Amino acid sequence: MWHQIREVYFYREMLKNLVSKELRARYKGSVLGFLWTFFNPLLMLIVYSVVFSFIMRIETENYAMFLFVALLPWNFLSSSIMQGAASLVQNGSLIKKIYFPREILPLSIVIANLINYLLSLFILIPALIFFKIKITPAILSFPIVLFTMVLLVMSLTLLISIANVYFRDLEHIVSILITAWFFLTPVLYSSEYIPESVRSYFYINPVTHLIEAFRSVFYEGAWPQWATLGYLTLGVAVLFLISLITFNCLQKAVAEEI
Amino acid sequence: MKSSSKNAVEITDLWKKFYIYHDKVNSLKDRVIFWHRQRRDEFWALRNINLVVPKGKTVGLIGRNGSGKSTLLKIISRILYPTKGTVSVKGRISTLLELGAGFHPDFTGRENIYLNASILGFTRKEIQQRLEDIISFAELGSFIDNPVRNYSSGMYTRLGFSVAVHVDPDILLIDEVLSIGDLAFQEKCLARIRTLQKQNKTIIFVTHAPGQIEDLCDLAVWLDKGEMRAAGSAGEVAREYISFMDNLSRHGQC
Repeated sequence: MWHQIREVYFYREMLKNLVSKELRARYKGSVLGFLWTFFNPLLMLIVYSVVFSFIMRIETENYAMFLFVALLPWNFLSSSIMQGAASLVQNGSLIKKIYFPREILPLSIVIANLINYLLSLFILIPALIFFKIKITPAILSFPIVLFTMVLLVMSLTLLISIANVYFRDLEHIVSILITAWFFLTPVLYSSEYIPESVRSYFYINPVTHLIEAFRSVFYEGAWPQWATLGYLTLGVAVLFLISLITFNCLQKAVAEEI
Repeated sequence: MKSSSKNAVEITDLWKKFYIYHDKVNSLKDRVIFWHRQRRDEFWALRNINLVVPKGKTVGLIGRNGSGKSTLLKIISRILYPTKGTVSVKGRISTLLELGAGFHPDFTGRENIYLNASILGFTRKEIQQRLEDIISFAELGSFIDNPVRNYSSGMYTRLGFSVAVHVDPDILLIDEVLSIGDLAFQEKCLARIRTLQKQNKTIIFVTHAPGQIEDLCDLAVWLDKGEMRAAGSAGEVAREYISFMDNLSRHGQC
């Protein structure tokens, strides 16, 4: 496993190039180019605030922001997993021709999406100020919340991408599961709306805790629940180790299976 | 076998098995339904290969189609893993299995040099030092700043070859790519390989042509149906191979 991490580090230039390829190729040939990275969340925010303050009025104060704060990290998770699921299979011709640590392919997808998320903060922070939501010192805990989120997304993307080599219909199954997962995570709604009899089940879902932490840091201006976050980080770290080991075991036959 | 720092590649008792599926199922649904009912045959692509490549030597792998040459090359470069046995490699490998693998069509030649060299495991600084050499060797002129999707197939492979031979690997693996481009470019490729030989690089290459073995290699290995038929000095192995092939064609078994 240390060997694996060292190998990825040794190939960091490739990782960097693939991330920048991912980011640039997405908008290559479009007039606005890289600016789309900012326009996407901005347009999203404008649409939500129009819809939810004029058409479908929701009692939650500043619902557009309530949603936006949670939707951005959720989109980071879902697009990483969905693009990452296909990353090994799509690059089959490369895998068959050249040796490189195969982890690079799914990881480059996660990092590209992470950068997209971080850039969307340039829209999020001014929007918070615009909607007069107080930014408190709690924002300092953002890096910790983000770290746990990134570790979780990396683990899931590694596992699903390697499993997809052996079970090709997985990427389609995953896209359906992610939609279901979205509605079972309090992104659109506050966890207070969940009937109390089933609420504890929702907290089995690690993303529930993370989304609540993001919301607490940005929207409520309160510190996240440290104990929960601590256990979660520990659990996610174990998951990350498991995913690295699993990936390493299964990747040996990848060039033959693709 | 005793490990020695004088050897770039040591292969001990290597076996490689492939499965040949008659109806390969790849989906979760099919795997559940056809659990343990898949028909597959075993196929040993390599049997009991023992090979030592000393540092700085050029070794040719020769053999007919399907003799396991490319499989062996892929195992050395860690694209495939051995079923049994060990392979130890000392030094950085650059592989020329297919030229321009990993090029992105929308990126310019220059951008693709960085991309391609980084896939081979090289840092930006190392690439920058060699950028001019790579560009001039590929003879692309002003095309270097055009997207590679506008390249002809010749330009594409020239750029791929140029990157692979300039990144300063310790070990270079070449799979039948010496027949690219026009004659002038082939000459240039051979000259480049001779330069690398003089720089004491280890080269392993696969070919059908005994002439190239005699021409370029110090040592040669003749593979036949996954087994080593002969190994030794390049001239001897090449002659054995030629007489074997002559025999075959005379008896019409080819």
